Amino acid sequence: VTPFDWMEPQSLREAVSLLDPEDPAVRPIAGGTALMLMMKTGFFAPSRLVSLAGIERDYATIRLNGDGSFRIGSMVSLAELERSREAAVHFPVIKNAIRTLSNIRVRNVARVGGALAHGDPHMDLPPLLAMLGARVSLIGPDTAREIAVEDLYTGYYQTVIKNNELIAEAILPPLNGARCAYIKVTSRSADDWPALNIGVKLEMADSRTVARTRLVIGAAAERLTRLAATEKLLSDAVPDEATLARAGECAATEARFVSDAHGSAPYKKELLRVYLARAIREALS
Amino acid sequence: VNQMGRSIARLEARSKVTGRADYVHNMRVPGMLHAKIFRSTVAHGRILSIDTSAAAGMDGVFAVITGEDIRKIIPQPYFGPAFHDQPILALEKVHFIGEPVAVVLSADPHLAEQAVQTIAAEYEELEPVFDEVEAKTSEAIVHEELKPAGTFADLKHLAGRKHTNVTLDYQLRRGDVEAGFAAADHVYEHTFRTGQVLHVPLESHASLAVPEGESLIIHTASQTPSFVRTEIARLLGWPENRVSVRVPFLGGGFGAKVYVKMEALAAALALIARRPVKVALTMEEQFYTISKHAVTFRIKSGVTSDGRVIARACDVWWNGGAYADIGPRVAQKTGFTAAGPYDIEHVRIDSTEVYTNRPPAGALRGFGVPQLVWAYESHTDMIARELGLDPVEFRRRNILRDGRPHATGTIMKDAAIDQVLDRLAERMNWNAPFDRGTGTVKRGRGVAIGLKASISPTTSGAIVNVSADGSIVLYTNTIDMGQGSDTAMAQLVAEVLNVAAEAVKVVHGNTDVAPYDMGTLGSRSTFHMGNAVKLAAEDARAKLAALAAEVGLPAGTNYDVKEIFRKRYGMQAGNVIGTGTYVPRYTPPDPKTGQSDNVTPFWMVGGTGAEVEVDSETGHVRVLRLINAADAGRPINPKICRTQLSGGAIMQLGFTLYEDMVFDGGQVTNASFADYKIPGFRDVPPMESDLVTANQETGPFGAKGVGESSTFSVSPAIANAIHDAVGIRLTELPIKPETLLRALRAAQGRPLPEDE
Repeated sequence: VTPFDWMEPQSLREAVSLLDPEDPAVRPIAGGTALMLMMKTGFFAPSRLVSLAGIERDYATIRLNGDGSFRIGSMVSLAELERSREAAVHFPVIKNAIRTLSNIRVRNVARVGGALAHGDPHMDLPPLLAMLGARVSLIGPDTAREIAVEDLYTGYYQTVIKNNELIAEAILPPLNGARCAYIKVTSRSADDWPALNIGVKLEMADSRTVARTRLVIGAAAERLTRLAATEKLLSDAVPDEATLARAGECAATEARFVSDAHGSAPYKKELLRVYLARAIREALS
Repeated sequence: VNQMGRSIARLEARSKVTGRADYVHNMRVPGMLHAKIFRSTVAHGRILSIDTSAAAGMDGVFAVITGEDIRKIIPQPYFGPAFHDQPILALEKVHFIGEPVAVVLSADPHLAEQAVQTIAAEYEELEPVFDEVEAKTSEAIVHEELKPAGTFADLKHLAGRKHTNVTLDYQLRRGDVEAGFAAADHVYEHTFRTGQVLHVPLESHASLAVPEGESLIIHTASQTPSFVRTEIARLLGWPENRVSVRVPFLGGGFGAKVYVKMEALAAALALIARRPVKVALTMEEQFYTISKHAVTFRIKSGVTSDGRVIARACDVWWNGGAYADIGPRVAQKTGFTAAGPYDIEHVRIDSTEVYTNRPPAGALRGFGVPQLVWAYESHTDMIARELGLDPVEFRRRNILRDGRPHATGTIMKDAAIDQVLDRLAERMNWNAPFDRGTGTVKRGRGVAIGLKASISPTTSGAIVNVSADGSIVLYTNTIDMGQGSDTAMAQLVAEVLNVAAEAVKVVHGNTDVAPYDMGTLGSRSTFHMGNAVKLAAEDARAKLAALAAEVGLPAGTNYDVKEIFRKRYGMQAGNVIGTGTYVPRYTPPDPKTGQSDNVTPFWMVGGTGAEVEVDSETGHVRVLRLINAADAGRPINPKICRTQLSGGAIMQLGFTLYEDMVFDGGQVTNASFADYKIPGFRDVPPMESDLVTANQETGPFGAKGVGESSTFSVSPAIANAIHDAVGIRLTELPIKPETLLRALRAAQGRPLPEDE
């Protein structure tokens, strides 16, 4: 690691002003769990890091809004989200998922904003929040915009977030009784990067029939992927074993898989075929 | 209080959990320079040029050093325990990707790292060889000539051998194996492989050399301070007493820190710079330093129809990588156990270690035994199933019992092989019906047992100092690297001198004060150093008794030690020094037949029982229950012995299911903890660690080493359980879910496509 400037702005606005729209060597740093690894291995040599640790305290809080939506500040740590009572009551899937998505030391330090902005397709928070229909607010020097988590990613480590934009918060719509499940599938140790991660959200028409679904996968493909055709197949359907088999087939055809150290593309395809049904069964159980 | 068999807490535990324990990684001394290493990017090549000018010109760079600079102060800068083949920095040739070629020295480690990036080297690339079987006959030759070190008598015959990659060709001949196969009702032959893996101690290698007057002090994370002193003195042409090697606690060793690793580099750099120099490796650099042999093992057995193995032929190829390190000794010392813990009349073993252009391989917890047990215990299970015999019963019929000759001819003694197998069967309730799972989840169980010999001939010395107030210090060069040796040694002293173990102070790892010890390796410390410590304590006890007699205290009474000194010296003064040296008996094996009437000071026995669940839709294996049983002799501290068993089993579980160095043209492509996964806490299965108590007659109070025993059998026990569950036999480690699923699908006639 070579020397670089370290800035400690006291507000989100100030932090944004210290970023550089053109220079990729200027980066914001929240928990730093991913960025520090890139720096240690020499993949990234910053000229300036803008620490977000000192920005307004409100960005490190979680709250349930009056309309039932759930707001997570970008500086909330994964561990805080895991332990949040509101999340446990209103989005129980979050707690269960976060426990599997990294070790406790990382969860204590890593922040929601950083985990969403990093763009590594193996990360678990993006598909988890995308499955829940989350949107993030992006603050730039003169701009403020909102974008769905599923639309953040354009490729491998590529996002639509500009160099001088910061994620301020994530907003989750109320579940309204929808059933959810999230599964991380590894092919080596439990705390490895996943070979596949999958999130399913089922809005029920009645106790047996699914009205609408959201299906999001990560890790297996080059970027976070929403399985639109499979969602359609499962709409207004009773997810019996035959339907689940068809859905698995559809998902396996629709997603584009990449081979890596965690498994070949054909293996990941097989994992999706199997785990799509498992995730839906888990959501319904 | 009887100190033997007391499960006291580790003496150093409090200092470790409160962060007070010293490690070389944290040491700083005034004027210290950091060394950062520029490494080879080709697997095999002649060095044409090394351009260090840009680095040398950077502000804050103290110096840039190459192999030729080292040669100016050390004319023959080649080191190694088995062969003198490893240059401190590459000379003339590079032999693997990652080999140290040059070093930048700077007071600022980050600046040194940056300067390393500006060094450029040109190589004339040579044909590399990576595979252990190919290397035996390949045209590509890694080293032109073999240069055995002379340390080990059994390697001397290799001196001067040229144009070969074979570093050792060990052979054992017992009976007539071909006649045995001819007489057998069935002959089975299988080939097994293991990949290259590594130790990954959480503390990487670190050495700090400090020139001080005519001496050189080397603070180092080493398991072998005495060897380091001898080897550095040899390289420098100095007497040993000018080299002082000091070792605090280690953050794990597992064999990665034996013999010389970074010490020679640190020493040479400190003498060139005339400043203290620290060489501290990153996690990534561990992948270019030392590893565990990849192995190919072809095993063939002749069996009678009533389930007796009468002949066994073993061909083992060990991938030693670019430098011998201790590899030739792995091929020999471990090679002779390749036929397993069985009573077999006709045995042939050919165990061949070869140089390749991979990172060097050496000693790793088990010293090659887990690779052999992987093969012979998978093979054993395959035969049992072919014959329709129960795997436990088949093993019982062939097991090697005390009083019977091992394949080396040594008569077995104090090896509780049958008791370990019985204990596993009992714990697993082997004869009761077993739940085979439902639906797509299939369950199975498997056992495996393994045998290891201890290292010999070796020497250990210890000093016990009793002060005038009766307090006691033990001086030993056995290094506590997490295995609890300080505690066990304190218990031995306490037992002899009738005090509480907690009151004994242990000073370890200082060649200026503690006597010679061969090394903290091969589970030898409890036995070898334990015996030396016991002798030293007994010597002190005898001297105290003599002193008591001298001052007129009646023999056999319960007098206070303080009183003896006060009576003798008129005040609290003086001390008593007890010394002990232990060298076990040993007969070197015949070089042609491998026969010896005393091939090991003691045997280690370890068995594993595994119950697994296989997800037949994904190939995932979940270990439901892992039972580790080991012959522990009479354990000094049962609690520490059990944690040694559980730790070893978890480590081997990683080598079984997750760990593998991935290579692309000689380049390791997963040299980080993000991409090379060791087991985490969530991977630890329900585990039982069971000590089979048996007397080791020659051990201190009946004790023997257990640091490796639980590693032997984990891999085949799991593979045997997988076969039991789904009928698929895997012959290569690690067992990846994708590999298993592919095998399952192929067996069902609907194979997965190779790739998209």
